[in-house]
Amino acid sequence: MSVAPLSPPRHSTRSMLATAGSLALPLAVVAVLLLGVSTSSNFLTVSNLLNVLTSMSIIGVIVVAMTFVLITGGLADLSVPATVGMGAILTLALQPMLGTVGAFSAGVLAAGGAGLLNGVLVGYARINAIIVTLATGTVILGVAQWVVGGVIVYGADPTSGNLLKGRVGGVPTIVLIFASVVILGHLLLSHTVWGRWSRATGDSLSAATAAAVPVKLVSAGAFVLTGIAGGISGGLLALTLQNARPGIGQGYEFSAITAVVVGGVSILGGQGSVLRAVGGLIFIQLLTNVMTLTGVRTPVQGLALGLLIIAAVALDLAVRKRGGA
Amino acid sequence: MTRLVFWAIDYRVLVIWFATLIVAVMTVPGFASTITLGLALDRAASMGLIAVGLTVLLAAGQIDLSSGAVFAVSGIVAVVLQPNIGIWPAAGVGMLAGLVAGAINGFVVVGLGVNSLVATLATLLAYRAIGHWITQSQPMSGMDIMLALAISQVHWGMLTLRAALFLVLILLLHLWLTYTVAGRNLIALGSSPETARTSGLRPGRMIILAFMGAGLLAGGAGVLQSLSVNTGSPVFGTDLTLLALTAVVVGGTRLEGGRATALGTLGGVLTLVTLTTGMEFASVPAYVQEVVTGMILLTLIVLDRFARPQGAMT
Repeated sequence: MSVAPLSPPRHSTRSMLATAGSLALPLAVVAVLLLGVSTSSNFLTVSNLLNVLTSMSIIGVIVVAMTFVLITGGLADLSVPATVGMGAILTLALQPMLGTVGAFSAGVLAAGGAGLLNGVLVGYARINAIIVTLATGTVILGVAQWVVGGVIVYGADPTSGNLLKGRVGGVPTIVLIFASVVILGHLLLSHTVWGRWSRATGDSLSAATAAAVPVKLVSAGAFVLTGIAGGISGGLLALTLQNARPGIGQGYEFSAITAVVVGGVSILGGQGSVLRAVGGLIFIQLLTNVMTLTGVRTPVQGLALGLLIIAAVALDLAVRKRGGA
Repeated sequence: MTRLVFWAIDYRVLVIWFATLIVAVMTVPGFASTITLGLALDRAASMGLIAVGLTVLLAAGQIDLSSGAVFAVSGIVAVVLQPNIGIWPAAGVGMLAGLVAGAINGFVVVGLGVNSLVATLATLLAYRAIGHWITQSQPMSGMDIMLALAISQVHWGMLTLRAALFLVLILLLHLWLTYTVAGRNLIALGSSPETARTSGLRPGRMIILAFMGAGLLAGGAGVLQSLSVNTGSPVFGTDLTLLALTAVVVGGTRLEGGRATALGTLGGVLTLVTLTTGMEFASVPAYVQEVVTGMILLTLIVLDRFARPQGAMT
């Protein structure tokens, strides 16, 4: 940082470093693939890889939405476990009355409504997102339990889970749902005005306001997205498991933030993409899978994950600083 | 009338706490007794000790999500080492573990420049993992059950050791934040890091010290908890961080830094504990408790945002 070269060379160093930075994640994924192939004969099998894909699909839906929260500078949505719980509980509780699709939609709608509450408080009232989502999370999950009288809800129609467990062209339906969410999220963030507004808002709130970007709307929108995503995720989870406990989404908020951050999306907002966040998720899931296959104990995996987050973020910061960005 | 409303908004934590107390006393038979008070204060202590550390960190514009995990690990260390080095040295090492955990947090935030929210989320995972690792995910028992009874002893009809410790620390924190140069510097740092730097403060050192303090407090609370139940468990303290954080913010300390109040934190902790204890005594279902607590928190947070327009221009 002490050396300040003239702008043209700095520009090229910067783009070189930026390229190195954007290649780090794909390289890491390749490295973990090679590690898996060389250490376990079970790793590179269709069934194992499909297992990894299936298990990441449900959390993956949330990862896509959480990317928007971080990019708009909304820090994080800690009410995700509550919206997941709400989606799950309502989907199974309303199933006998509304049918599977109707109940699922109702769950997603309710969770989206909860997201709207977060959005209004964060985007329009401009209250810190951490404390807002902490408080609304308590209320949302409480209401969801209240509706069903505080019991674990079981599925009334076990066949409804079969659709999700089924396959289309060899790919599990749930993975296809995840893939379409990724594509939609990517298009929204990288190819629409909404996405440009989101990045501008996270990059500099005052500059975006001055440029007539509807910053309140965009900040609020990100939380509506995580609400909806939590509802979808919870509904899918409940239909797959055929039961819905209130604590069903516990830890999902932190897992999603981890994936987004490891994918190189800055918690300070303004930068990142849906595909990078999904890349972060893929990397974490593959790494966890390899560790499990090679018999690494769960606590050690947790330790590794913690170190990984710090390393990823510190590396990202170092690259950006050196690049002068 | 308007003046009364403004007064009520300014002292909203106090108002809500009294309202909760009055409702609890009127609806729950036997709520107004020193036994209940002692019980509630003892419950408040763990959350409160962590809240003291968090108040300092938030004042400096930082956050610590890992304190619940530090709470668990320190307690585990204090229990696991008992057969090897004796009960009191083990307790000391447990607290030291908390201090080290805090120092690591501080290093990651200041040394590596990682945002404290992400940094302590990462160390939260790591410390929890260490807790599970040491104990093989099983609760561990200590050697002396009588010590547990001695530690949970209620003095003067209402105070346990840790409750007294919490109250003393809150008072000290209040004096420190209000009357000492170091305390005011900390708030200056939180309200404007750049100005603080250019006026000669050393933000890095202050932040690392704040994290070490928070770690030590979380560790101390964990050791006291483990000794008082004669058990160390990797799942202890799972909800503590978020509860303590809520108490601190509800008390009027800002998450963005630059404003901190120790007495507010005390009010926040007492409000949360009165609410939960009162509703438990009244046998309100857990999910209704969550809704009521959450609604009150939301009210306080929204009031905080609109009560002081001059402080809201962030």
